[in-house]
Amino acid sequence: MVKRILAIIFILVIGFWIANALAKVPFGEDKMLVGKYYLENVKEQTGAINAVTAVVVNYRGFDTLGEVTVLFIASTGVAALLWRRREERSAEVDGSLILKTGSRVLLPFIMLFGAYIFIHGHLTPGGGFPGGATIATAFLMIYLAYKEYEIDHNLFEPLEGLSGVSYVAVGLIGLAIGGYFLFDWIWQIWEVGDIGRLLSAGFIPIIYTIIGIKVGTELTGIIDRMIKESKEVEG
Amino acid sequence: MGEASKVSRYLYTVIILFVIWLFLTNSLDPQELTMGFVLSLIIAALTYQVFTKYGLSNLHPKRILYTVAYIPYFLWAMIMANLDVAYRVLHPKRPINPGIVEIKTNLTNDIAKLVLANSITLTPGTMSVDVKGDRLYIHWIDVKDPSLEGASKHIGKPFEKFLRVIFHDDN
Repeated sequence: MVKRILAIIFILVIGFWIANALAKVPFGEDKMLVGKYYLENVKEQTGAINAVTAVVVNYRGFDTLGEVTVLFIASTGVAALLWRRREERSAEVDGSLILKTGSRVLLPFIMLFGAYIFIHGHLTPGGGFPGGATIATAFLMIYLAYKEYEIDHNLFEPLEGLSGVSYVAVGLIGLAIGGYFLFDWIWQIWEVGDIGRLLSAGFIPIIYTIIGIKVGTELTGIIDRMIKESKEVEG
Repeated sequence: MGEASKVSRYLYTVIILFVIWLFLTNSLDPQELTMGFVLSLIIAALTYQVFTKYGLSNLHPKRILYTVAYIPYFLWAMIMANLDVAYRVLHPKRPINPGIVEIKTNLTNDIAKLVLANSITLTPGTMSVDVKGDRLYIHWIDVKDPSLEGASKHIGKPFEKFLRVIFHDDN
């Protein structure tokens, strides 16, 4: 009985707090001042239809560079943890004929779809991260189907580094032309393209292509590292 | 029929990718077309070796015609199989007789076998379990005929007559 009364009092106290807190919030008013600013100015300032992409790449481009760095560190971490125990695949046989043929035939389509997603980041939902992940799934499928398969490390690793460097380079060009890092000179100074068509939104498609390649190669690298579980190194 | 030349295989991959791009973008804007063309060239260069063996000869009008005809044929087969399974589910006595049967296929091309196995899986009531050589193992909701020939005639043959032409097994 005492327990129940305590519970009721407890609930009343919590209810009072919540009611008090909510009482001061004006009802039906737009509190999202930053969000409103983005939505009202996104077209003139960035040339992108997709406001989310404009926020990610343009308004908060520096943050996205940080995310790319996080991914790079994650991939480096996986490589560092697993570097002594690689070389061997645990799979004893190839996948079935259906898996093998399917992964081979779908490869170009998945790559094209991934490229479509990152090229149209400023027009449709999507962008570099999902596009790159889509491309990595194509390689995951091939890894699952063929036990002998291995990506060409001499191609993938330089490509990954090159795309990371080009992102910073695009930022530095902005710094040189416009006065601050990741300044969108293509849209704001050159005014290239018409809003709503493929060629618009300044450097967003360029940066998303770079991110797409980076995420694709990086995730593929992680898959490559992780799928080779194996033969512990003795000693 | 032997392998086609590299150029023919590359061009075929470019054409297929470009058509897929047209469907994806649903636009004839010259900017989209240019970007699609460039991407098709790049991706085809990376993948044409694993994608196709016969190259441009896949675009023979007869094969395109059979591919186009296969789509409604397959959809019809799928609708009928759906109704059949729905009937079995709703029937109070639940008239099923499940089992795994072996069927034989005359298709030799891997891609043709892939499409056959997936067509069988996509029609409710039958599901491909495995492919080994020229044999497919099918889980069938109502085994009408457990023999190799009988099951092949029921399950595989209707699709095979199309796939044989589409995927170069018609020699």
